[in-house]
Amino acid sequence: MDNLIATTENCRYCLMCRHVAPVGHVMHDEALTPHGIALVVASQRRGLLQWNEESLEILYAEPDAGNCRAHCVTDQPLPAAIAAVRAQVVRDGLAPTAAHDIHDRLQEARSLFGAFVPAKGESETVLFVGDEGHNLRPSTVEAALNLLAAAGVQAVPVGIGLGSGYFASSAGFPSLAKALANQCIEEVRAAGARRVVVLSPKELFTFRQLYPERLGIDWPGDLELVDLASLLARAWTDREFEILPDASLAPATYVDPTHAVRVPERFDSARALCTALLGQPPDELFWRRDRAHPVGSTALQFTRPDIAERLTKGRLEDAVGRGAHALICEDPATLHALEKHAPSFNLEVIGLYEALADAIR
Amino acid sequence: MVQSGLQFEMIRSELAEVVGDANISTTETDRLVYATDWFWLPQMWMDRGEQPRKPDYIVRPGSAEEVSAVLKIANVYRIPVIPWGGGSGSQGGALSVFGGIILDMKRINRIIEIDEQSLTVIAQAGINGKQLEWAVNEKGLMLPHYPASANCATLGGYLAPRGTGTISTKYGKAEDLVLRMQVVLPDGHILRTPVVPQHAAGPDFFRLFLGSEGTFGVITEATMQLDYLPQARLLRAVLFDDLTQAIEAGRQIMTRRLDPFVIRLYDPRSTASRIRKILGYELEGAYMVLGFDGDPDLAALQEEKAMDIIGQFGAKDLGREPGEAWWKHRYDFYYPPQSLKLPWMYGTTETVTTYDKIERLYYAEKKAVEEGFADWDIDFIGHFSHWFHWGVMVYTRFIIKNPPEDAKEAVRLHNRVWNTAMTAVMENGGMVNEHHGVGLKLSRYMQRQYGDAWPLLERIKKALDPNGIMNPGKVGFGF
Repeated sequence: MDNLIATTENCRYCLMCRHVAPVGHVMHDEALTPHGIALVVASQRRGLLQWNEESLEILYAEPDAGNCRAHCVTDQPLPAAIAAVRAQVVRDGLAPTAAHDIHDRLQEARSLFGAFVPAKGESETVLFVGDEGHNLRPSTVEAALNLLAAAGVQAVPVGIGLGSGYFASSAGFPSLAKALANQCIEEVRAAGARRVVVLSPKELFTFRQLYPERLGIDWPGDLELVDLASLLARAWTDREFEILPDASLAPATYVDPTHAVRVPERFDSARALCTALLGQPPDELFWRRDRAHPVGSTALQFTRPDIAERLTKGRLEDAVGRGAHALICEDPATLHALEKHAPSFNLEVIGLYEALADAIR
Repeated sequence: MVQSGLQFEMIRSELAEVVGDANISTTETDRLVYATDWFWLPQMWMDRGEQPRKPDYIVRPGSAEEVSAVLKIANVYRIPVIPWGGGSGSQGGALSVFGGIILDMKRINRIIEIDEQSLTVIAQAGINGKQLEWAVNEKGLMLPHYPASANCATLGGYLAPRGTGTISTKYGKAEDLVLRMQVVLPDGHILRTPVVPQHAAGPDFFRLFLGSEGTFGVITEATMQLDYLPQARLLRAVLFDDLTQAIEAGRQIMTRRLDPFVIRLYDPRSTASRIRKILGYELEGAYMVLGFDGDPDLAALQEEKAMDIIGQFGAKDLGREPGEAWWKHRYDFYYPPQSLKLPWMYGTTETVTTYDKIERLYYAEKKAVEEGFADWDIDFIGHFSHWFHWGVMVYTRFIIKNPPEDAKEAVRLHNRVWNTAMTAVMENGGMVNEHHGVGLKLSRYMQRQYGDAWPLLERIKKALDPNGIMNPGKVGFGF
């Protein structure tokens, strides 16, 4: 943890990721950039300021979306460092109520957004559904299972409504995050799986990078992690199933999901599926691919809802600026956030997997 | 300066009426973050646990009209106003040395028009440089100003200190790329300069604002010249045994107008340290990167002619890969932990002069700094990177790896090094700065630099800003 916190020393006077820092971009505030937040941490360590309500608001404004690190040529793990600082704040009894609310809900229900439902059945391949997928957008899960079946993959859903540990880690509760991580792995093990198809980019990042880096838990080597969009794109290319293009959905603008920059190998897969569905490549936002900004679906929605809303509206403003009428995305959490505000921007939101499930034959 | 709690709140209310309560901050934490830019001194000061001088208010205007209204309030109460773009300046130009209002320009960040016929973009001054570049790249165009700070600096920050980018040797400094500006004068008057800069309709007053670093007004919008993205970008590296011959080769390439977009010449000390650290090449001598771009045939011909000149000086052609690696990693020097960083003491004493003086200046400064601070085991490195038809900039830097731990002692040593370096620069015909600007750091040298021309600048300042509210303590002007 001390090593991680040392990262803030490197970042406190570095401005080189400013151009991709989403919160700084929508809030126009120097203190809410990676440099600003790292400087606040470094200043607290030097006794130049104390943790109090106003300084903690800044500490909890870091989105943990990975944009700074994705563009850092020396790979400074600032989001993990900020999570470690938050854990210290929790230990010191100073964490804000909103952070404790995250802890308490996950501790009690293993879910932030509804209920956790223990998995049933066994299969060599499982679909890790996660908390948002099950509780915020079950239609996406149903569509994903149908698409997998069409691709010849019989998958049992696991992790149904189960927090993966990302939110607990992000809010500063590594012990709880570890417990959730172990529970996720146990769920997969109990299903007898050898291959785990992951619905959301957030979970793909969490399993692959957050567990070892922040929690000291390596994802089991005998459990293959597979991104759903990549699997489906490959299956479509291999003609495992056909997609009947639906011209009525075009043109639509693709929104890279929150955390997309952390799993860049997915960029082309999701777009290939969109192209197959629309009969033409999707239109693009300005903030796309390796510079894609998140919507407010990180822990900010609890700790800094004002910033979370600005992030989501920022994506919608980007879309309006590009002349978009409809947005398309595959991630349940991103779709949920977009749908909350899209009507006020006269934008339609399309779930990629749902639309694909209707278009396969 | 703000005197009392009641006055403080009264002014805050007036400012909030202009920009909205959400766009003004007076919290301790925000004020601390805005208390330092990229100048070594305030960073060191805070690094040693010393409280910095903080601004009183952070104000984020959303338009030129709001900037105007803020300046009018500041004039009533005689409060300093410090424009703030990306906070990436290395000269302390954005420090609130007398407190006052930090005017953070980042909300004024729209692209108004990209003209694909005239190849111009009109953008507001608070837009991030890289974001502006991405936007024009989508049209197959570029704003050919590629400073190392592009990721963080704003358009206004490009112009206010007369910045220079990596490819300036062909495309010019930021000041050469601007056609027109909207400026808010210190009294709140909003003006637009003439539609183009090259004309004979009276004096060229718009250049007053370039290099004034906010002391003459606030740049809120600019029309910038664009270029087509080059079809080809040819890079290669060569190695000279001798720095003198390398400078002469660069001079011949420039004076014969072979139009390189970059000539980056590292002195032997930099070649042995920075090139080795960042690119991994263990070389002895003076490492030069040469680049030509644009039409592929033309660029190839220019490169061929330049290599003929290089060949006459016996330089070794290292091929394309070392040149391309430099281009790819040219900004890696600025990412920690590869960058110079605290607790080291360092400073960039970059300067510019004509070819007849440049080598003498470089060695005079090197000798003065190395001999003057040998007890501190000072390291002096440099590269020559912005070349003109008439001369070249040398980007000299000093590094002390074990400076005093006491912050006050560190300030004194730092300023002694600067005095030594700048004295050598001015005595040998150099300017105290080529592209980082003056800020607070070099403010005390301005009178000496300008000599009998300085009173004219003071008179202009007095006429434009009679209350002296605009960025006091910078560019030689007081409060």
